[in-house]
Amino acid sequence: MYKLPNGEEIFIIDAHIALWDGSKENQLNIHGDQFISCFYDYHTNLSPDEYIWPKEKFLKYDPETLVKDVFIKGYSDIAIFQPVYLKEFYKNGFGDFDANEELAKKYKNRFICNGTFDPRHGERGLEQLEENKEKYNWQGVKLYTADWYGDSKGYKLSDPWAKRYLEKCLELGIKNIHVHKGPTITPLNRDAFDVADIDDAASTFPDLNFIVEHVGLPRLEDFCWIATQEKNVYGGLAVAMPFIHSRPRYFAEIISELLYWIGEDRILFGSDYAIWEPGWLIEKFIEMELPDDIQKETGANLDLNVKKKILGENVAALYNIDIEAHKKLLKDCSLANHFA
Amino acid sequence: MEKEKQVYQMLDQVYDPELDQPLTELGFIDHIVIEGSIVEVIFRLPTYWCSPNFAYIMAEDIHKYVSSLNWVEEVKVNLIDHCASNEINQGVTKGKAFSESLTAFSGSDGDLDELRKTFQIKAFYARQEKMIKHLLYQLDMTKEKIVSILHSDLISLNLSKEGQLIRTKYFEKKNLFNHSSPLAFTTPEGESLTIESFSDYLLGAKRTRLSMEFNGHYCRGLLEARYKLPSIKEQESTINN
Repeated sequence: MYKLPNGEEIFIIDAHIALWDGSKENQLNIHGDQFISCFYDYHTNLSPDEYIWPKEKFLKYDPETLVKDVFIKGYSDIAIFQPVYLKEFYKNGFGDFDANEELAKKYKNRFICNGTFDPRHGERGLEQLEENKEKYNWQGVKLYTADWYGDSKGYKLSDPWAKRYLEKCLELGIKNIHVHKGPTITPLNRDAFDVADIDDAASTFPDLNFIVEHVGLPRLEDFCWIATQEKNVYGGLAVAMPFIHSRPRYFAEIISELLYWIGEDRILFGSDYAIWEPGWLIEKFIEMELPDDIQKETGANLDLNVKKKILGENVAALYNIDIEAHKKLLKDCSLANHFA
Repeated sequence: MEKEKQVYQMLDQVYDPELDQPLTELGFIDHIVIEGSIVEVIFRLPTYWCSPNFAYIMAEDIHKYVSSLNWVEEVKVNLIDHCASNEINQGVTKGKAFSESLTAFSGSDGDLDELRKTFQIKAFYARQEKMIKHLLYQLDMTKEKIVSILHSDLISLNLSKEGQLIRTKYFEKKNLFNHSSPLAFTTPEGESLTIESFSDYLLGAKRTRLSMEFNGHYCRGLLEARYKLPSIKEQESTINN
């Protein structure tokens, strides 16, 4: 909950957080070391100095640190776990469904625990997906199409097996498909960050929602094109968000482009915690105003109502959260005394 | 050291296709070692995961440009700290195709020509958008004038220092396309722009420019973080014009 000076409260859902284990003990090989080191470079390069963590803490942080950073210091009312496997790099994987669940049980109504799948796991994975739905009641999944599996260095949502998994999601009621389409980090094809497979999947499965994390950057033009065509495609701001600090004008250009092309109802806030702490991102986002020339060029509007949509209302709609009813539920939460 | 200077002059011509900037400017060249007629170029990228296909293009181009010096008999390309270092270094040094060297990266095409072309087009849009914006906002040129101005008139136009730089960069890319049209501004395919489609065209070009700048900001930032280099701040001018 972010409180404006006039007392008005803004309900915030951080749609992209993680509780990862990148520790030396969990690293399987040099790739595991390099993966978390790369995350750390993102973290140090784009965070304000006062929010930079020591490397040791960044490798593995405890669940209570997450609760403090995301809810107490970070203003969020709800946060969504987006775990990934990375089993070729980490002994127990990078994310851990059970660790997420445990935290969600302790802090009721605070978390949405999404899952993941890998279509290269074939029939076995399909069964596993069913079992996981049964066990964790996933409403969404995070897909990391650049994950390695055996000899394969990635997959596409348009692959036949991926389609079977998406069919299964539809059947099981897993409606929100978050797909990492971000910068760098290994290719799938000639154009490593091609978002064309989203286009294909989104038209094949109009009843699923496809949230393109990192708004397709660095393929903004392709993403905007696809999202304009396909109404079930959304843009997650994780990774684009921290530019608000180091490249504010550039961030203003990006957000105004998104508002122009896909509109205010399909942009979702995500911090990508623990790469960045949500607190400073939210403070800066609420403060920011579009420079006049950028506003004039695109006609984009980023007033408080639009910000509220981006910070919470749009995600709430995807996850069937009634914000007013949820506020009441949170009154009994053990964290509530921190906000009194 | 004359030889070293020559090698660096060659390396100035090797571009990161995705960022549209020379490797030497980006800080991607770690160092070079010259032993008689053998040159080793050690280069690095912002992350361990930078796309092998782009890395391969850069490695190939390093090999090609440095080999063109008449005293050079052998070029060793050495990409360090990368998830596909071995495959890339061996592949390029032996003159193999990307697909032969990196079979594991699924879907990789036989050659990288199409990828190169895609990014030439992106770079064209990005540089053209800057040129057009400069004319629109610094010179108050009308849309009508912009869609009809001749290549030769743009060359002789009196511009500020910044404008000249933008123009040089634009023509550098434009000339690669060998357009037959006498117009200064056409699509990458050489088609004329129209008044009706001008605004949409410019918005499209802007999105391409924003994507490239995203890469530029990110890659430079990650390289700085990875190798503890001094930081380069947001240059408003590169975005503003």
